[in-house]
Amino acid sequence: MFSQRRARILDALPRVTCPNHPDAILVEDYRAGDMICPECGLVVGDRVIDVGSEWRTFSNDKATKDPSRVGDSQNPLLSDGDLSTMIGKGTGAASFDEFGNSKYQNRRTMSSSDRAMMNAFKEITTMADRINLPRNIVDRTNNLFKQVYEQKSLKGRANDAIASACLYIACRQEGVPRTFKEICAVSRISKKEIGRCFKLILKALETSVDLITTGDFMSRFCSNLCLPKQVQMAATHIARKAVELDLVPGRSPISVAAAAIYMASQASAEKRTQKEIGDIAGVADVTIRQSYRLIYPRAPDLFPTDFKFDTPVDKLPQL
Amino acid sequence: MDADSDVALDILITNVVCVFRTRCHLNLRKIALEGANVIYKRDVGKVLMKLRKPRITATIWSSGKIICTGATSEEEAKFGARRLARSLQKLGFQVIFTDFKVVNVLAVCNMPFEIRLPEFTKNNRPHASYEPELHPAVCYRIKSLRATLQIFSTGSITVTVLKRKYTLPTPLDSEQGPT
Repeated sequence: MFSQRRARILDALPRVTCPNHPDAILVEDYRAGDMICPECGLVVGDRVIDVGSEWRTFSNDKATKDPSRVGDSQNPLLSDGDLSTMIGKGTGAASFDEFGNSKYQNRRTMSSSDRAMMNAFKEITTMADRINLPRNIVDRTNNLFKQVYEQKSLKGRANDAIASACLYIACRQEGVPRTFKEICAVSRISKKEIGRCFKLILKALETSVDLITTGDFMSRFCSNLCLPKQVQMAATHIARKAVELDLVPGRSPISVAAAAIYMASQASAEKRTQKEIGDIAGVADVTIRQSYRLIYPRAPDLFPTDFKFDTPVDKLPQL
Repeated sequence: MDADSDVALDILITNVVCVFRTRCHLNLRKIALEGANVIYKRDVGKVLMKLRKPRITATIWSSGKIICTGATSEEEAKFGARRLARSLQKLGFQVIFTDFKVVNVLAVCNMPFEIRLPEFTKNNRPHASYEPELHPAVCYRIKSLRATLQIFSTGSITVTVLKRKYTLPTPLDSEQGPT
């Protein structure tokens, strides 16, 4: 819409054209500041303002500050087009007064309207950094947070809670879900509150997320337990088969995944205790025990056909 | 699922929640000291009074608003509420029984089959929401009846309806058959 308005304004402006060739599109020679007709070579417009750099920049080694840039490289999509700049901290001895404090201390609020949002973005980046989430998830989280924040339907909730819930949703949407407990570990908000905000955000943005499956967490849990690839593949197969055969109705996929990892690791050379798996997955070891009891009877059917058993199926621990 | 098998299923109303007002300020301390079967929660500012005859727990606020929970039917709720008002009257307050309203009805039902929750959620996308990490049941909301159903994998279903006139059999008709 804006571009249409702009096009109309440009149409209204008097256009320079070559008197001999009114249809010819003029070529700009920015170095000389001319507009030249390509047909006859007539210089039509002169003293065209040069929009290039004001000064020459040489590629020095110490070219840390780029002299042709003015303003920060902020993301205007997220912070509502912030073009203001701040006075930087002084370099050199003259900028410090006698006590060692900097003379110019003004770092006043420059974007008071979006201060909370910028704070939240910082918090999101910190949280994502703790669990090594890639930039695309962080960007998605920022976008979600912006949408929720602008809607103002969750205004009363703590920003950190909304940020954590957005992070959870972003991970889900990217196909790499993190459990609520994992998000809890990097956030100061309780699981209950994150869960509540999660439901509210889904309602506010009118989106839904896919259901979590056992396979989503296998690679992460197995890597954290330093299990070899075969065990991971076996555990994935076991969990998938268990869900297909509906051996574990009503159990959370995380618990089923943990029990499958336990079964696979116990059958291989790399055995892991229930406590270790429970620590990584965030499930109680009694929960693993419960789910394991459900899948134990069908253990021979659940293993993949090409699995090399270190401990045969009938010798698997029975809890 | 045809209508006959719906009616044959037992739907038990397990809880009716109602509110009413006494139109007078209540001295919670007095109720706590002189009333029978009361629990005074001073930090929140309410008194819990438990009745035996219709098994009811009432939350009494000093403003005169009272919430009654635990009744098994609408009539019993009204009965219990009146009885409660009477006991408050006996303690000396000028109680006027007004604004009686049933706010919530909770009922439990058991399906004779198990339900596979992930498939159920996929088939009922906008209405059903399932978060296994948060709650083991699928939450199915029917906006037109203002009802929320919690569907467990064992087949038991709890229905809560926020309406004066509730029609409990109807939510089950729109349910899916065994999946």
